[in-house]
Amino acid sequence: MQIAQPLQLAIEELSKLPSIGTKTAQRLALFLLKSDIDKVNSLTSAITNLKEKLRFCSICFNISEEDVCEVCLNHKRDRSIICVVEEASDVIAIEKTNEFSGLYHVLGGVLSPLSGVDPNSLKIKELLKRLESEEVKEVILALNPDTEGEATSLYLAKLIKPIGVQVTRIARGLPIGGNLEFADEATIGRAVINRINL
Amino acid sequence: MRLNYIKLNNFRIHKSSEINFSGHLNYIIGGNGQGKTTILEAVYYLCTTKNYSSSPDSEIVRFTEKEFEATGLFSDLTENKVRVYYSSEQNKKYYFQNDKQIYRAASIIGLFPVVILTPGDHSITQGSPGDRRKFIDSIISQASDTYLNYLLDYNKTLRHRASLLNQIKETGNRSLFGQLDAWSEKLIITGSELISAREKFAVGFNGYVSESYKIIMDESEIPQIEYYTLEGKYDGDYKERFRKLLESKRNEEIRRGANLAGPHRDDFIFGINGKNLKTYGSQGQHKTFQVALRFAQFFYLKEKKGKTPVFLLDDVFGELDSKRSVRISEYLKLVGQAFITMTDFSDISNLTREEDDLIIKVANGAVSYG
Ligand SMILES: [Zn+2]
Repeated sequence: MQIAQPLQLAIEELSKLPSIGTKTAQRLALFLLKSDIDKVNSLTSAITNLKEKLRFCSICFNISEEDVCEVCLNHKRDRSIICVVEEASDVIAIEKTNEFSGLYHVLGGVLSPLSGVDPNSLKIKELLKRLESEEVKEVILALNPDTEGEATSLYLAKLIKPIGVQVTRIARGLPIGGNLEFADEATIGRAVINRINL
Repeated sequence: MRLNYIKLNNFRIHKSSEINFSGHLNYIIGGNGQGKTTILEAVYYLCTTKNYSSSPDSEIVRFTEKEFEATGLFSDLTENKVRVYYSSEQNKKYYFQNDKQIYRAASIIGLFPVVILTPGDHSITQGSPGDRRKFIDSIISQASDTYLNYLLDYNKTLRHRASLLNQIKETGNRSLFGQLDAWSEKLIITGSELISAREKFAVGFNGYVSESYKIIMDESEIPQIEYYTLEGKYDGDYKERFRKLLESKRNEEIRRGANLAGPHRDDFIFGINGKNLKTYGSQGQHKTFQVALRFAQFFYLKEKKGKTPVFLLDDVFGELDSKRSVRISEYLKLVGQAFITMTDFSDISNLTREEDDLIIKVANGAVSYG
């Protein structure tokens, strides 16, 4: 079967996106082809703006419009606490809670010897530098509670503790408002094992 | 839980077979290679999405065909229709529960508890520590999701750590030691959870095995299961001991680029009257022990899950004398529903068939009721 080259190209580019397979890419390309040119233009300019107007904060590596992000610039934020997360999307998740008023540090991933991710591929040196120069008293490790996230937390804790900064890890357990009976057994099991004194 | 019905299409020798099972004992009779064990294999497939032997899905497909399918109807409080379909052209397996496709095999584990006794069980008492760990881990994983998750987490940690140890071995790069410390700590934390769960299990499971063994054998023989972890007997202080052991192995681990200490090297020692079964047991004692372990597993899971497992026994009477065989068949009446393959019913004298028991004859992949 022959596919017009511009269509073929669009399908190929779309299927490079995460979680987009060839079939979905094909559907999206055909959808765009049928759409008004205005709609397509606003999509392309949104994508171009994303790249042209956004970058990573030079301090915390969060997404930012300027060299330094709004969180880092905000003087009302508590400069004595840094919350370490894997990706910028985790900053958005924590910001939505309105429960945290400190600063962030985006690692850009977690350690994984199997896939060749070592400390140099993450923003760890930059984190340690911040701990030297700033008035930081506590680092909260908010990495995912999976194998690699936990190993990375242990690695960071070993590096940070000697500096004299307190290291904490976010608690894990049952989702709020979630009924015990609807949580999966592994989550309940872990919550029971990691129970706390009252 | 009961399995009421099964349908097989192009499943090994079975071109198209349908069976309505009894809620009591189902004796599946047939010669070698006629397709009687295949029925157990299919039931196991429906319960777990996997084959109990390690043969690949493609080997299940009937000669010259391109796909196989197995359907089963289970019932306890509700009815459950389970279907497995495999296409060798796509080399893909599909699993359906009540006509809804299931994508994660892990979400099936434990849903339809199953216990299978096979001639391959000899490796549990006579084989390597790895065979015994696999046996014990499969029971605890079926009973506890938390354990299964720790096990998967621990195995992943092992793979990462092995990769790191190998990098250190290859490059001699000392700057990797910091990472190694972190992965060692992760290994100790997760491994200790496994050790404590296995220890707790071994203590409790001992009672189940004693009970089963007593019923099959004489009271004069008392079986034991002892947990050997971290190169010694369990003594409660495992976290510190794990850490010390790991430290003592550090140089060797780096030299060999491999994980050399932890619960992935544990063993369970089986004994009778205080004597090591592996060293001193007779053929008959081994077989009896293997059967007792599976009965113990059945009653353990039944209690832990509050759900009666499907009990499959492949050629259980094969190597046993008729006294022991009769005791086992009496014992099976306490189980409720079970599926038992054998070559010939009349081979075992004194074996009684109750009214509700079913005899299913299998010849060249065709099924008839006897
Ligand atoms: Zn910033």
